[in-house]
Amino acid sequence: MSDLFFLPDLRAAARALPWHALLLLGAALAGEAVQRWLRLPRMLGWIAVGALLGPHALGALGGADLDAMGPLLQVALGVVLFELGQRVNPAWLRRNPGLLGTSILESALAFGAMYAVLVAVDAPPIVAAVAAAIGISTSPAVMLTVARELRAQGQVTERALLLSALNSAYAFIAVSVLLSWIAREHALDWRSAVLQPLYLVFGALATAAVFAGATLALLRLLGRRHDAQFLCVLALVAIAVWAADVLRLSTGLTLLAYGVAIRLFDRRRLFVALSFGRVGTILLILLFALTAARLQWTLLATGVLAGAALVAARIAGKALGVIALAPAAALPIRKASLLALALTPMSGVAITLLLDTSRLYPHFGPALAAVVVSAIAMMELLGPLLAHFALLRAGETAPEEG
Amino acid sequence: MAGLEFGRSAPLTLGVELELQLVSVRTCDLTRAASDLLAQAARRKHPGEIKPEITESMIEVSTGIHSRYAPLRTELREIRDALLEVAERLDIGVAGGGAHPFQHWSDRRVMDAPRMRKISELYGYLAKQFTVFGQHVHIGCPNGDEALYLLHALSRYIPHLIALSASSPYYQGVDTAFESSRLNAVSAFPLSGRAPFVQTWDEFNAYFDKLRGAGVVSSMKDFYWDIRPKPEFGTVEIRVFDTPLTVERAAALAAYVQALARWLLVERPHAIAEDAYLAYTYNRFQACRFGLEGEFIDPAAGTRRSIGEEVQMTLGALAVHARELDSEAALRDIEGIVRGGNDARWMREQYAVSGSLPDLVWRQAERLRTGQ
Repeated sequence: MSDLFFLPDLRAAARALPWHALLLLGAALAGEAVQRWLRLPRMLGWIAVGALLGPHALGALGGADLDAMGPLLQVALGVVLFELGQRVNPAWLRRNPGLLGTSILESALAFGAMYAVLVAVDAPPIVAAVAAAIGISTSPAVMLTVARELRAQGQVTERALLLSALNSAYAFIAVSVLLSWIAREHALDWRSAVLQPLYLVFGALATAAVFAGATLALLRLLGRRHDAQFLCVLALVAIAVWAADVLRLSTGLTLLAYGVAIRLFDRRRLFVALSFGRVGTILLILLFALTAARLQWTLLATGVLAGAALVAARIAGKALGVIALAPAAALPIRKASLLALALTPMSGVAITLLLDTSRLYPHFGPALAAVVVSAIAMMELLGPLLAHFALLRAGETAPEEG
Repeated sequence: MAGLEFGRSAPLTLGVELELQLVSVRTCDLTRAASDLLAQAARRKHPGEIKPEITESMIEVSTGIHSRYAPLRTELREIRDALLEVAERLDIGVAGGGAHPFQHWSDRRVMDAPRMRKISELYGYLAKQFTVFGQHVHIGCPNGDEALYLLHALSRYIPHLIALSASSPYYQGVDTAFESSRLNAVSAFPLSGRAPFVQTWDEFNAYFDKLRGAGVVSSMKDFYWDIRPKPEFGTVEIRVFDTPLTVERAAALAAYVQALARWLLVERPHAIAEDAYLAYTYNRFQACRFGLEGEFIDPAAGTRRSIGEEVQMTLGALAVHARELDSEAALRDIEGIVRGGNDARWMREQYAVSGSLPDLVWRQAERLRTGQ
């Protein structure tokens, strides 16, 4: 060997291979393949490639690699929630109170149904509550991506986005509160039980207001320079993620409120066309692929039955809530059924939260983890498909150009 | 075959159709919402009719038949209120205006109905580009001959109607320099422009039969003329108006047409002749481009005045007829437009303040809602 010193060292080269680049390349190709040949959402390709390269499959991306990408994912998630916040209109809830009712009912029923299933498989109540609270949320990333890919507009689309923002907000608050209870070993002291949610909500609103004010001031200063505007907002979103973390607020809730505040404060509608464009898409690809990589797909088989029961309970709870209040919210039953389907995608955030939970709470035993993880794994593929199907059937999509 | 039968209608009765914009409450761009809106509107009692139009971002409302201005205005307001109530619950914005200021035509989606799909296939990009919004006014006529007389006599006043209603200065994101850019989009269609100079219903039928026999048209719907007879209704239909920013202005414009029609039919102030059309396209262009400041040439009288001055003079002649028709308040509104500027001017003023076209659309929607 030593004679052939000029030949490359293949083993070292393989170790130094830029797997992140390969992940993006693979995700891009798989996404196009899924879109072109199966006519399904691209994100299924991104998820598949992420899962394949992740530590639980081929292992090209190790756990350390994923941890290193953590901060980037936080920003990606921040961007998603910021965008969703910008898209929803709080005034709509005032003009159509049936929608607020729908949101509360579907979240409560989904929570109750999931809680019942989890307790039935012997989860400790507080752990069941955390897992059920996580499940309340409809994935903002999936909803936004599906709606954007299909260029969907209409009642099912707009309501799915609004309900996703609301139920995610409920989930963020509930999970933050429950986790801090767990961390303090159930030391249920009524003052913190009341004050913490208040701090979470008003802290998020105040932080969001400060950031929104600063952002708009900067954007006005920059004028109509789209590149500069975009960079400025991206940076501020990243800083807001950090600020929420430092202030021990819910990052998700803060960024969601940030998006809403930008829209409310922009009185002259100068920045309605603000978007994250191609960089936003790259962040989304990473978000989906890396979240899928983290998922322990091997647990899918172990917890499949109970996991399926959990998924079914969640869908039933949401569907019941949405359909029961459809007449009050001025939505035909057919569209309400499609809306219920559109709400099925489960949040990828669930996985991050789950990891935190298991770190914080060792009683989250392997059996329970298997149930929850296999439910998440099922929803990871089923959710985007159902949402995609729902928007197509609602007739709210426009064919892609080119 | 007997050709087209001209239906009966009471002379000088009025009906109004308005095409309205459906916009996203967030981006203020046109949005696909017609089907959802129609489904909800169908569940609610309301006067008049709310109907689909060629694309999902458009809706048409129409009134019943009226002989007086005040009830017409009341009905238009009731339809507007009903429509806005439904739209608010669905988070959809509704705005007037002859064209959307910044929508991109290729984003439009054609309504899912056989007739709409056929039109879309035939006209290609024109069908989507034709996402412009007009007001149509129907005037009842006792018979076809009277209808054709009225049609030709009214043609001299088309520039008035264009200038008074103009509300499409912005199109595809730019200031077009026109006050009504909408009519330029209409001109791309075959059989747009003016009707042929035929004076009796029999002659018109002969003309129509020739075109139909040659296969040029299959029904009256294929004519996109500025004014056309509408034999099914027994009316003359005027189609040059941009949809005004308020229904109140739409009612006043209809009343102006009604008073004009009464004056023309009762006093017969002009001889109608092919020569009356000599300056037609010139005057029409002036009205689209410059609005009330545009120049109006009357070849027969040999006069040149601004369209605004022409409207002022006409209002003098109409006073006695407006008294008969109980529409003096409407004509005062018309005079107000001549003095204070049309909707196109208001839109340019708003944009000058905010510098934001989405904001302009938002203000248009507010103006439709409040009527001011």
